[in-house]
Amino acid sequence: MQDGAVVEITDLHKHFGAIRAVDGVTLSVRPGEIYGLLGPNGSGKTTLIRLLVGLLKPTSGHMRLLGRPVPDKSLLSLVGYMTQASALYDELTVRENVTFFAEMCGSSERAWIDEVIELVDLGERSRSQVRTLSGGMRQRTSLACALAHKPRIILLDEPTVGIDPQLRAAFWAYFRRLAGTGATLVISSHVMDEAERCDRLGFMRRGKLLAQGSSTELRKSAAAATLEEAFLRFIADAAEGGER
Amino acid sequence: MSLKRVLVLARRLMVQVIRDRRTVALLVIGPMLILTLGAELFRSEPAPIAIGVVNSDAGVSTPATGRIDLGQRITDELAAGDAFIVTESDEGEVDELLSEGAVLGVLILPRDFSASYVQTREIVLDLRLEGSNPTHSSAIAAYCAQAAVKVLAELAAASFQVPGAPQAGAGETSFPVSVEASYLFAGEQFDAMDFVAPVYIGVLALFFVFLLACVSFLRERSQGTMERLLATPATRVDVVLGYMLGLGLFAAIQVTIILLFTVWVLKIHYLGSLALLLLIVALLAMVGVSLGILASAFARTEFQVLQFIPLLIIPQILLGGTLWSVPDLPRYLQPLAYLMPVYYANQALRDVMLKGWGLAEIWPNLLVLVGFSAVLIAAGALTARREVG
Repeated sequence: MQDGAVVEITDLHKHFGAIRAVDGVTLSVRPGEIYGLLGPNGSGKTTLIRLLVGLLKPTSGHMRLLGRPVPDKSLLSLVGYMTQASALYDELTVRENVTFFAEMCGSSERAWIDEVIELVDLGERSRSQVRTLSGGMRQRTSLACALAHKPRIILLDEPTVGIDPQLRAAFWAYFRRLAGTGATLVISSHVMDEAERCDRLGFMRRGKLLAQGSSTELRKSAAAATLEEAFLRFIADAAEGGER
Repeated sequence: MSLKRVLVLARRLMVQVIRDRRTVALLVIGPMLILTLGAELFRSEPAPIAIGVVNSDAGVSTPATGRIDLGQRITDELAAGDAFIVTESDEGEVDELLSEGAVLGVLILPRDFSASYVQTREIVLDLRLEGSNPTHSSAIAAYCAQAAVKVLAELAAASFQVPGAPQAGAGETSFPVSVEASYLFAGEQFDAMDFVAPVYIGVLALFFVFLLACVSFLRERSQGTMERLLATPATRVDVVLGYMLGLGLFAAIQVTIILLFTVWVLKIHYLGSLALLLLIVALLAMVGVSLGILASAFARTEFQVLQFIPLLIIPQILLGGTLWSVPDLPRYLQPLAYLMPVYYANQALRDVMLKGWGLAEIWPNLLVLVGFSAVLIAAGALTARREVG
């Protein structure tokens, strides 16, 4: 393991009966990095993230966040987690939702909450009940909730799914800014063009981490022109490896 | 309208219902369970009522009549029936026996009972009643009066010439028997509604709070916010206690309004302190919240929450001493009553409203309610399991 890694995962397994949702993953993420977990649906990205926040217990293996072993409830005030479905309280306003989750993590800095709501461009709707919002707005509220307590590690499970290209670009610009302030981001996605924006990538398939590195490194080592091609090459190699 | 579309829709619905196997099972088992319970309850013989007799009657002998021992004859007559268990006791311990619940009424036959009958040619039965259950009170009064009438009828039938007594064969009701009752608790102005109202308040509070807690906890899980909550430093115990407090506060307001409405608008009689009543119902509501949270772990949809009603709520109403008092339940069902939180709340509510008892007397019931809450909260926190994906 590298020194100063913010997220360290060592030979992690999570099995649901016969299904190996996470099958021997080892990876580490450095401070201030944007790490992209890339893979098709059902490849184990969500399970990996849920293991990291302690929602699931690993079958075997170790995880450390900020050098402290998981699970540790007190760690979670330093972790921001955005779930796939925009899990929000419909009857509460945008602001009330964001404030609630911030306070659950023991922080309630008004100015910062205002800023987060502005950043996701919901300043004008901050007093609207969530049930009146569009899907994209809900998604943005959900992101604001994950950031409201100034987390040092931010785990985002497909944050840009179902939002328009303009908003997606805004999100990524914002992720970069967060990384600039020293936060570490782990972002799962199954969209290849998003992967280019990450500092480093992990290709996941069937619970296994097939390859990791920067997008340039990955393309180079697979001798591929695009990431998508590289991914397919890695899959083919893994299948061959399995046959051997 | 298209018949085809209607059929397709109906088929889809049937597939959906059948996939939800628990719903199918409960659609059948739920009503059967309740009907069985109901049948047992409606068909069961009421338990015998315990009454006491204080017989100090010295009897009377006159040259014209010979010896008359009305007191002894009435005592014997009372003891002959099956519906009442009769014990003889001393005058001094009457109220003690009543408040212990050893007997529900005592017939007091004074020393000059026979003598005054011979003089006035009428019988006035002096009845001391426990009084908190109007049904029992009137049954005891009727039984004693009946016994006295029967004794008089026998006297008449034996061609015993009682001056002024009607001839044998005349309607029994014309015998000059009246009852003068005094009450240890409650009193004459208390009617059946007063007996039922206190426990209705409790059961209704339990019911609504249970639903509220169960549905809101379920929604927390189904909308995904539970997952998010548990990814914060909040523990499951934090979440459950937060629910208890939040919904408990609502329950307290609900209960206060219902209680004041019952007392002021419906003019229910009550003794004891209103604050204490509030405390009892609030504790029962707490049980409802924790029961709801626990139950929500076993429901996937709000419809399944509704299915808990015949399983968890209706038996409480039937067996918890709400409509039938527990001693009137069939003997083999009685142990179940002690498993029902409602039973303890009902006991406490009646003790306060009808007997005017205070915290000093009812605290054991309150303690049991707190215990139920604690156990259910612990179980709820254990089962508020993390969503496994």
